[in-house]
Amino acid sequence: MRGRGSRGLAGLALGLFMVLPVLPLVIWSFAHGWRFPSLWPEDVSLDGWAIALSDRAGVLQSFGLTALIAAATTLIALLIGLPAGRALGLYRFRGKGLVALLLVAPAVLPGIAVVFGLHGIFLRLGLTGTIAGVILAHLVPVLPYVTLVLAAVFSRFDPAFEDQARSLGATPLQCLTRVTLPAIWPGLLTAALFAFLVSWSQYLLTLAIGGGRVQTLPLLLFSSASAGRNDVTAAIALLYILPGLLVLIITARQITGRGAALTGGIGS
Amino acid sequence: MTDRRRIFLLLAPALMVIGGLFLTGLGLTLLRSFRYMPALGLTDPDLAAYVAVLTRPDFLASLGFSLWIAAASTLIAAMLALASALLLRQSFPGRAVISFLVQLNLTIPHIVGAIGVLYLVSQSGVFARLARAAGMIAAPSDFPILTNDPDGIGIILLYVWKELPFITLILLSSLQTLGEDHEAVARSLGASRWQAVAHVLLPMISPALLSASALVFAFSFGAYEVPLILGANAPKALAVLAWQAQTEPDLVARPEAMAMAVITALIGLGLLLATLRSLRHRGLHAR
Amino acid sequence: MTTLGLAGLCKTYQGADHRALAGLDLTVESGTLTALLGPSGCGKTTAMKLVAGLLRPDAGDVLLDGRSVLALPPERRGVAMVFQNPLLFPHLTVAGNLGFGLRMRGLSPREIAARVEPMLERVRLDGLGPRRPVDLSGGQQQRAALARALILQPKVLLLDEPLSNLDPGLRDEMRCLIRGLQRETGITTLIVTHDQAEAVAIADRIALMLDGRLAQSGAPEDLYRRPATAEVAQFFGGVNFLPGRVAGGQFHATFGRLALAEAGLDREATVTIRPEAIRLGEGPNTLTGRVQEIAFLGTQSRVTLDLMATTLEALVAPDVAESLTVGQEIAVNLPAKALWVLPQP
Repeated sequence: MRGRGSRGLAGLALGLFMVLPVLPLVIWSFAHGWRFPSLWPEDVSLDGWAIALSDRAGVLQSFGLTALIAAATTLIALLIGLPAGRALGLYRFRGKGLVALLLVAPAVLPGIAVVFGLHGIFLRLGLTGTIAGVILAHLVPVLPYVTLVLAAVFSRFDPAFEDQARSLGATPLQCLTRVTLPAIWPGLLTAALFAFLVSWSQYLLTLAIGGGRVQTLPLLLFSSASAGRNDVTAAIALLYILPGLLVLIITARQITGRGAALTGGIGS
Repeated sequence: MTDRRRIFLLLAPALMVIGGLFLTGLGLTLLRSFRYMPALGLTDPDLAAYVAVLTRPDFLASLGFSLWIAAASTLIAAMLALASALLLRQSFPGRAVISFLVQLNLTIPHIVGAIGVLYLVSQSGVFARLARAAGMIAAPSDFPILTNDPDGIGIILLYVWKELPFITLILLSSLQTLGEDHEAVARSLGASRWQAVAHVLLPMISPALLSASALVFAFSFGAYEVPLILGANAPKALAVLAWQAQTEPDLVARPEAMAMAVITALIGLGLLLATLRSLRHRGLHAR
Repeated sequence: MTTLGLAGLCKTYQGADHRALAGLDLTVESGTLTALLGPSGCGKTTAMKLVAGLLRPDAGDVLLDGRSVLALPPERRGVAMVFQNPLLFPHLTVAGNLGFGLRMRGLSPREIAARVEPMLERVRLDGLGPRRPVDLSGGQQQRAALARALILQPKVLLLDEPLSNLDPGLRDEMRCLIRGLQRETGITTLIVTHDQAEAVAIADRIALMLDGRLAQSGAPEDLYRRPATAEVAQFFGGVNFLPGRVAGGQFHATFGRLALAEAGLDREATVTIRPEAIRLGEGPNTLTGRVQEIAFLGTQSRVTLDLMATTLEALVAPDVAESLTVGQEIAVNLPAKALWVLPQP
């Protein structure tokens, strides 16, 4: 068909643009010295990776800590966001617009406005510099995403299934675990993966609340970038991308529809 | 249990978290911006911090700088995203791979992209090496300064790269929801392919484009870590300037940091609300 | 006035395992309203989109007055299509929607307004021009969609199930409007429907599509009374198929002999008779049957009869059915004029 070739070319340009900033990271992570003006590293080595993965660098511990924080944040956000999403998705009630706005606001408002006040509160509660404090703080940007995704999921869920299950003898708990959760499972999974990634990417909140004592991966990455070892920094940066890549592969089959609907949910 | 009670109970935990963390945090920021800090003996709220901030030349420069970054990034990203969405909804060889890369980009943290851009377009970056190999420059200093530059070119480049997929996926989702029937109707009513795009498709996806762009603007206007890595010493982006003021040893400078944060948030919020209003005014919703 | 011709149209969708259209031939005579009838999924909408130029056929041709229009893009075919959903453009007013096609042609706003006003009036939307489509009721939206196509005075008008999303009351109203406008303008019109009653009520001619092919076309009465195949008869609600043999102007079946109105060649054949044509009582062509079941259907009752192991369904007035009991032996009259010998066995 006419135009397919030019479309392919435009697609190629788009794809190239998408990977452009990642390419130097890949090359740098295998470079042992890559001085200007060489187009290619003089020496290819695994030094950067070796240092990044060594015990001394603390990258792996930091990776684990970041994952722990993200997983805990996700779990709490799901427990809180599930009922809220149900209320927003299934019911019409007075003040719904306001509630929705309030629940979305933390995701769209610049974080800098909350971070200072939050720091003040957490200081008084003794939560600064603690992992628990960082997890709580991460709830602020994560909960809106979870609530919105689940609200969209519940708006397509017919609660008559629950009535049907109850009339067939299911207890409320059985009803939840055997009917409701299986029905919303794909949406729940997407919400969870999304929540994990949002927490995983946090920088400012962790810096402010953790006060440098909770060294998540982005904080470590930043100090490494400032320290000037490009090969190590590139290796850490690539490690940092890994979970996102994994999430994408898990959801790849459904993402064109659902994944886009996720991001679309923020706008509505 | 009545519906009202049930709804309240369902919403209560989320509202408590948002109220307890977000609103309280916001409120405390606000109080301190009015110089209400009993611990420091400041018990009479006033607007002195705002007056001080609004007369600081570095703040005004930062405000202009952040507005410039946000406006330029949003405009370029929105236009490229529109083209990308129109491209990706059609079939062409390799579309699946390109779609995957666009989605992959969405999962990459900003800070990684920022470091990548640094290695790409700095004076000793990949592009500078390519320019040298092509004989266009002799030394790194001949390459234009694109990172940590006063015009924020590196920051804008990063935001365009990072937000293009976000807007693209929102547009694709909107296109998918709309289906192709409206265009088909337009064609059968005598519209050419481009007339159908211009007179039917664009107006119909413009609410999605507008709201996605507003989100991108609000984000790039108030974000911290990207200008931290790619920004110049002066002018600093608003969030960077506010953070710096907050970490100054002099506690009395803190209200100014708070005032900067409040102004940043207000501008972002104002833009979002204006977008929402204009969408409502046109009788259309974001989706 | 334009004659529309479809010649051997074939279309298989990418990834589908069967052909949506398997060689469709159809002629829509100039100035007529023809119904393209068929069960859902038989390829009717695909045929429409091929005519409109919204899809390209794998094989075959679309002809307007004998000339192929396949090379023309949709906007230059002079074919306007109204979809099942009104699909009014939400960002335009009702008047803006009606004027859309004229605007695409480059007419001035004044010319457009001059043609939109009378059209609004004609479909009883006067005064609603400045409204948004969302403010219109379902029926009003569908009328606006119809007007939006008619205002272009197309050579051929395609209507894809325009009544299916309307309430029964509105459906009658819309049907009258379509019929009236078509008679007034004389535009060659093809209307797609899956409802045989609707097709019979609205169309000059019916083309019945089954499995991507034309099964039969003709006046509504032809398809109703003289179906070409058992499938056509079944689609029009015929349920009684009697196997047997035509010989000497008579039909020989296991349960007896029946006189036929028209004598054909001697052969094995299937005869159909519509349930409402069967009478209970004496007369020519009478057989004896046993009452198997009686079902009250409201205005009529269905009596299931057993004629020596052949089952027959008859629709009779409820008071007739009331006098019957299950197991009773009665006289069943099959009028010769109502018996139709299917052309193919």
